[in-house]
Amino acid sequence: MAWLSRQFSTRVIVLIPIAIAINIVLGYTVQTILKLPIYLDSIGTILVGVLAGPIAGALTGILSNLIWQYAPVIGGGTIGPFAITAGVIGFLAGIWGQLAVYRSRPASGTQLILAAIAAAVIVVVVVIPILNNPAYTDPNIGGYPSWVYTAAIVIAAIVAVIVAGFIYIRRDLAGLWVAVAGVVTGIVAAFVSAPISAIAFGGVTGSGTDLLVAALRQGGSDVMSASLGQGLFSDPIDKTITSFVVFIVLGGLSGRLLARFPLGERLLGNRAV
Amino acid sequence: MPASRWANASSGTVRSEKPADPSPGDSGRAARGLPAYVLRVPTGTYRALNPLTKFVIALSSALVAFGVRGWTGPLSVLVVTAAIALIAGVSRSLRRFVLATIPIVASILLVNAFLYPGATDVLFRVGPLAATGTGGTVALQATLRVLAFALSVAVFSLTTATDDFLADLECRGTGRRLTFVVGSAIRTIPAMGSRAVEIVEAQRARGLDTEGSIRRRLRGIVPLAGPMVFGSLAEVEERTVALEARAFSAPVRRTVMRTLPDGSGQRAMRWLVGLGSIAAVVASIAGRFPLP
Repeated sequence: MAWLSRQFSTRVIVLIPIAIAINIVLGYTVQTILKLPIYLDSIGTILVGVLAGPIAGALTGILSNLIWQYAPVIGGGTIGPFAITAGVIGFLAGIWGQLAVYRSRPASGTQLILAAIAAAVIVVVVVIPILNNPAYTDPNIGGYPSWVYTAAIVIAAIVAVIVAGFIYIRRDLAGLWVAVAGVVTGIVAAFVSAPISAIAFGGVTGSGTDLLVAALRQGGSDVMSASLGQGLFSDPIDKTITSFVVFIVLGGLSGRLLARFPLGERLLGNRAV
Repeated sequence: MPASRWANASSGTVRSEKPADPSPGDSGRAARGLPAYVLRVPTGTYRALNPLTKFVIALSSALVAFGVRGWTGPLSVLVVTAAIALIAGVSRSLRRFVLATIPIVASILLVNAFLYPGATDVLFRVGPLAATGTGGTVALQATLRVLAFALSVAVFSLTTATDDFLADLECRGTGRRLTFVVGSAIRTIPAMGSRAVEIVEAQRARGLDTEGSIRRRLRGIVPLAGPMVFGSLAEVEERTVALEARAFSAPVRRTVMRTLPDGSGQRAMRWLVGLGSIAAVVASIAGRFPLP
């Protein structure tokens, strides 16, 4: 009980509505005004999870989607049922916060280069089993059309280079863990979203990612694995970007502010306040 | 003592000797002497229902529309919701919500009708693609489901004021924290939206291109998101201090001045609708739902 109430200090209660508004406004701007093929609607959720804990993060995610759907002004089309996914994302972010994944870890020399290489390898290692999953390569079950396969490899390579570059340029080992947290969150989100999308909306969401669903269906995947294939393609990319955005935001906030949140001390470690 | 002066002043405005304009029929509430704008109770056949009742109806509709497979679930929700919209007199405003479903409905119809896995009963062909009967059925059902869900959401948000809903939840003991989070989030969104517009215009004035190729739009994210996120996070500290100064974390319940009418009939209806919809979904999943 103390564990729970510690996650909801007044400061966290103030942060949650702002995080919800960031999720909705940024998500709406990126998806509708800038018309980009990513979501970016979980920055606030991950921020609260990392600063306050799993339950606060899950609550932020769930409320974000419910308010987005039910509030009279905004009225999101199909976002409501994905409240479950958003809750899971926030819960995971809380676990990352307790494991101090987003703590800055300055390093230099060989250690830094090793971490950069390790991060690039991890990105590739995570991508290969997804691509080699029999559900997508076995022609009897289904299979990606070849361009999806190529695109995935190209994107994985770009992400690997960016992550490695980020670690090297910022001289910070944390980039490795931030990337891992983003990719894992993305994969989990994809697995949670696929059944929701398949059951509620016939496997599509009414956005640009539906082209991918259509391509997978044409390749012969069934409703569920087409949605999962689309999710495993979009979500790890989206959540890795989000994860790095949160890391950059946390780095830009003063230690004095961060230290007052429930998980602030874990986040800061020995960083001067 | 200044504190008691404040107490007198506030009790003077709230419990004035003369009840402020008790409109006829406002019997029990006028006795408390609250001014009319605090007491405003929604009128109309459906609007006058307790907000929680309307919320339970909306959630149950969503549950049945998505959870009961086949035709019965979505169709019955669609009929019930349309009837409620007519009674509540909001059917005209529903058009906006129906139009908003066009992208997903188009996507559902195209992807499922033409690319339904394993379907062989071809209806007609367009180039290399064939529309199938199985796919078309699935597409129509999914469309009805999305429409039914969108209408249930629309009817709830058109007939229920957010403040009423939150006040009612607080009366029932949800605690001021949840009420504050939801209420504050809903009020922050338009403020942040207008801030986003200001930021985009300010950056455009400095020569940022927010239209054009994907690469240009991608480069627009950072100058937009940066000031927005940091600007709003800077407010956390001030708001925390402001709330603490107003006894936000005091260990007592806050007195809720607004109470909305509720009755045993409505309570029974909430349980009936809520449990009924869960039972219908369970029956449908177990394959024992009697209708197609």
